[in-house]
Amino acid sequence: MKKKITLAAALIFGVAAILGACSGGSAATTTAAPAATTEAPAPTETPAPTEAPATAAPAPATTVDLSAPEIKAIIDRGVLKVGCKTDIPKFSLQNTATGEYEGFEDDLAYEIAGVIFGITGAEAKAQKKVEFQGVTAKTRGPLLENGEIDLVIATFTITAERKETYNFSTPYYTDAVGLLVNNDSGINSINDLDGKIVGVAQSSTSKDGFLKYVEEKGLSVSPEFQEFDGYPALAQALASKQIDCFSVDRAILAGYVNEGNHILDDRFAEQDYGVASAKEKTALAALVEEKVTTMLADGTMKAMQDGWGLQ
Amino acid sequence: MLKGLLDAKRWAALLKAIPEYYIPGFVMTLRISLVGLALALALGVVFGILSTSKWKICKVITRIYVEFIQNTPLALQIMCYYSVLPMVFSSQGFRIPKFVLGVIGVGVYHGAYISEVIRTGIEAIPKGQSEAAASQGFSYVGTMRYVIMPQTIKIIMPPLANQALNLVKNTSILAMVAGMDLMYFTDSWGSNRGYFAQAYFTSALLYFIICFPLARLARYLEIRSMRLPVAKQIEIPAGGEGA
Repeated sequence: MKKKITLAAALIFGVAAILGACSGGSAATTTAAPAATTEAPAPTETPAPTEAPATAAPAPATTVDLSAPEIKAIIDRGVLKVGCKTDIPKFSLQNTATGEYEGFEDDLAYEIAGVIFGITGAEAKAQKKVEFQGVTAKTRGPLLENGEIDLVIATFTITAERKETYNFSTPYYTDAVGLLVNNDSGINSINDLDGKIVGVAQSSTSKDGFLKYVEEKGLSVSPEFQEFDGYPALAQALASKQIDCFSVDRAILAGYVNEGNHILDDRFAEQDYGVASAKEKTALAALVEEKVTTMLADGTMKAMQDGWGLQ
Repeated sequence: MLKGLLDAKRWAALLKAIPEYYIPGFVMTLRISLVGLALALALGVVFGILSTSKWKICKVITRIYVEFIQNTPLALQIMCYYSVLPMVFSSQGFRIPKFVLGVIGVGVYHGAYISEVIRTGIEAIPKGQSEAAASQGFSYVGTMRYVIMPQTIKIIMPPLANQALNLVKNTSILAMVAGMDLMYFTDSWGSNRGYFAQAYFTSALLYFIICFPLARLARYLEIRSMRLPVAKQIEIPAGGEGA
């Protein structure tokens, strides 16, 4: 056990030295801490945690505390585990040929990994510092809670209820819910949906958004809602006419438009996507928050979105 | 995860969700299970007896039904009833009510298994039994009713109970097509709030509430059928014949 730790410490030290991204001071913190946290007895002169960030000048987020145990664990592991969608064009799409994840949210994951490992987002991508795991609306919560993944960047809408369960960053993208209907259904606006069946994804906020929008507009539209596990199931149910309308975030909906259906003009329930982390991992959440707000402030977030053709 | 499991706030949220999610889900699952079981038993008995009949055509029909249903997944069959079947008959598609879909889904599926259980049960009775019955002048129906079936019941009770329990649990596949059953509402509430431990634990308990009495009932019937038949005490009227 001890051998393993020393080995890991040596390895990290080596990596840190090669990269040269960290200054001497922060490298010392990285190596000293694992020994201190596991086998405490030896009174090593661990530098005060507050001291380290101040010296780690080259890292982009200077006020971030990299010595918290959960961030240490990620650094020791060598990769940041992120849950992303696999099936949303432009946001996060897994390339079936290469298995790589491509999209705006995946690039954001690389940027955050860059902060943790003290490198740039592009370097993080080149060095494969992010281990992606495909998630759905249903699996992302449990995977985050049981520690299988560190972060969820998967069109995860921020709600007050969810904030009780997870940590959310400042919104990095704002989307609206849309309505996809079959061309031969005769449905031309939200008004035609009265008494029809609207399919929504499990664990999505589309239903609440729909009801709120209808109430605000004073419309008398009350469809029946049915929930499905995953978007392909919804698309299939719409294609076989088991549901009249497929309602989900427009970003996701765009991937399911074909010659037989179209998206209605109605848009409602503007919703914010945030980066989510497990509730107890506050230091990781703070790091993410710092990065996201920085990117929003200096325009890199906007540039990234434009790069992927969003908005 | 364990911390989340013991969180009082989450259990409080669950209590509030019971009337809206768990009650309708439980009722739907119970209804589908009972009617589905009735359908499965009816199909099973009919096809089980047909498969032991003398006519070849009956045997062929039951073989096709049993082999086709047994060798394809239930999830696929439900999917077929849900989306393929309606499209075959009309381009606009029609919608089978979820309750009917569930009953047909599990009923037809387990009907095939039950018919196999009954066929093997009947075939397990030595041929000499029906020959003996025939020699005593029993008709086919009489032989079945008084000689074969009482012995078959003993043999088939345990596998039949298995089928009944599996039927209840298999209704959960309906959640895939928004079946409004217990599993559907469990997924719905659990994933909406992120309180999976509470959601699934409660759901498991509710399935247990349906299955456990069914298992006990099957066990009771099994034990009862194992009792040896007792000869009926015939009251011989005093001062009877002859004397």
